[in-house]
Amino acid sequence: MQWMTLLKKELLENWRNKKWIWVPLVIILLSIMDPLTTYFMPQILDSVGGMPEGTVIEMPEFAPAEVVLITLGQLSSLGVLIVVLITMGTITGERKSGVSELVLVKPVSFWNYISAKWVSFLLLVWASLFFGILVHWYYINILFGNLSFTEFLTIFFFFGVWLTFVVSLTIFYSSVVKSTGLVAFFTILTIMAMSLVTEIFQYVLDWSPNNLSDYIFESLVNGEVVSDLWITAGITFGISLLLLVSSVQIFKRKEMVIS
Amino acid sequence: MTLVKVQKLTKTYGKKTVVNGIDIEFGHHKCVALIGPNGAGKTTTLRMLAGLLKPTSGSIYFESQNKTPDIREFIGYLPQYPAFHTWMTGREFLTFSGKLANLSKEEANKRADELLKEVGISREAQDERISRYSGGMKQRLGIAQAIIHKPKLLILDEPVASLDPIGRREVLILMEKLKEEMTILFSTHILNDAEEISDELILLNDGKVIESGKLTELRKKYQTTVIELQVDDDITKYVDRINNLQAVLNTKIERDILYITSDHLNNARKEILNLVLTENWPVTTFSINKASLEDMFMKVVNS
Amino acid sequence: MEVLTENIQLFLPLIIIQVVLFIVAIIDIIRIKETNGPKWIWVIVAFLSILGPIIYFIFGRRRD
Repeated sequence: MQWMTLLKKELLENWRNKKWIWVPLVIILLSIMDPLTTYFMPQILDSVGGMPEGTVIEMPEFAPAEVVLITLGQLSSLGVLIVVLITMGTITGERKSGVSELVLVKPVSFWNYISAKWVSFLLLVWASLFFGILVHWYYINILFGNLSFTEFLTIFFFFGVWLTFVVSLTIFYSSVVKSTGLVAFFTILTIMAMSLVTEIFQYVLDWSPNNLSDYIFESLVNGEVVSDLWITAGITFGISLLLLVSSVQIFKRKEMVIS
Repeated sequence: MTLVKVQKLTKTYGKKTVVNGIDIEFGHHKCVALIGPNGAGKTTTLRMLAGLLKPTSGSIYFESQNKTPDIREFIGYLPQYPAFHTWMTGREFLTFSGKLANLSKEEANKRADELLKEVGISREAQDERISRYSGGMKQRLGIAQAIIHKPKLLILDEPVASLDPIGRREVLILMEKLKEEMTILFSTHILNDAEEISDELILLNDGKVIESGKLTELRKKYQTTVIELQVDDDITKYVDRINNLQAVLNTKIERDILYITSDHLNNARKEILNLVLTENWPVTTFSINKASLEDMFMKVVNS
Repeated sequence: MEVLTENIQLFLPLIIIQVVLFIVAIIDIIRIKETNGPKWIWVIVAFLSILGPIIYFIFGRRRD
């Protein structure tokens, strides 16, 4: 009951501050940018001009899975950045303005307070991703060749797990750090450090969350979901839950006041 | 019966002790003023009572805490500078607060409706975004959210400090009314506000309780009378005679006026007037001033 | 430009999204009580680039 109240408040807030409008649109934009530019690259180069007369631009033929991988790369950088930027202030902002005082002086459990935020941002991010990947899937089918509905679901679901981790990490830092800017800084830094570590120890860290995109690609090429993808997704989701639980624990111990 | 009992409450930040071993106790349906100069530790004390801050040491006991582990159900709190979700309307925020305090949807709506009327937020403003509210409206909305779940203890941090005289009056009247339903604990640095509506005073300075008790008792305790006497002559000639009187505590002369302090007005008046009449003093002024609680406040804080 | 006109049905969604983002941003700037910094700056930002509306939503909206 109380949890639903908090969730509804979060959803209404993100509706009124227009996140429910612009975030899905931006994710859709990011998802169709690459199929289009990849497909039309020769013509674009041509129309820009500057090529000597008679130059034939040879572009490699792209398989659907390759274009998916390029787009997931885009969503892993710009998409992740946007997810971090929309989530970062959810706790620090309320604490800074002082609203959290009026909320937490009521018999509100810290678990409800933070998990409602977590779920509300996951709903927003998953919904945006759904529309983004759906439109992406449509473009792939028109421009590059057949990609089945199951494959669409695979991309959507497993990349959603990655974004779930990003939301969880951001909320974790938001309950630990006091300044909104630092939340973004630490979250991005952590993701970059993780990707570096995954790169360096790639033979040991088979199931690092950073590998999700690669395993999605592998699954599309293989024509079935590879077991590495399931395991990595499971681990990533597990870490996300762990981050959520620790956020609540740390938040509980923290003093609410700044002065 | 005791509603709240605070023992040896202490809060330190690093080496700085903000609240230093406070003992407070008060009962139901009281209006208690926590008074002290700025920086005395009032806000910190209230925040600990509201459960927003963990005490470094000491204990806070609530009468109802045996029934539930979460004492926040019995407390309403309004900070000095309340912040709201300003994207909500006043009504939405109240309903939201009510539901957080575990009221059902219907109850929360009903209470929100009642309170919007009670604290005087106009019909048009009720469904307007809080970002458009004035300071006074926000303060009243703040009180409404604090009492939406009918708490037993209402904690208000400097509720009238930031208001203009009209807003101040409105809030004081509202508090007067609320006093009948719950205990109010409020902080202020203005003695007038405290005197006006509180039954009990707790005087705080440097994180310590300096004096506390019923307003009437404190008034009596610190009440002294000052009699002003002026004569058409050199006043110093008369000082000794006055000093010899039994009811007189002490005297001082300032600009030819003799100030006579006494803790027993009737006797002092009788003795002095007797003297004046029998010895035929050329008296030009004889007046009696009662010292106010303000003097006591200054005296206690300065000592 | 030929690429665009010949394949308009493919590029149309892109353009529609841009336009919607722009309109929502402008309406929001006008209706909101305060922005971070003067409102007219954000109107210009929204006009300037395709990223403008997004930059406004992330940095221009005052959190409350």
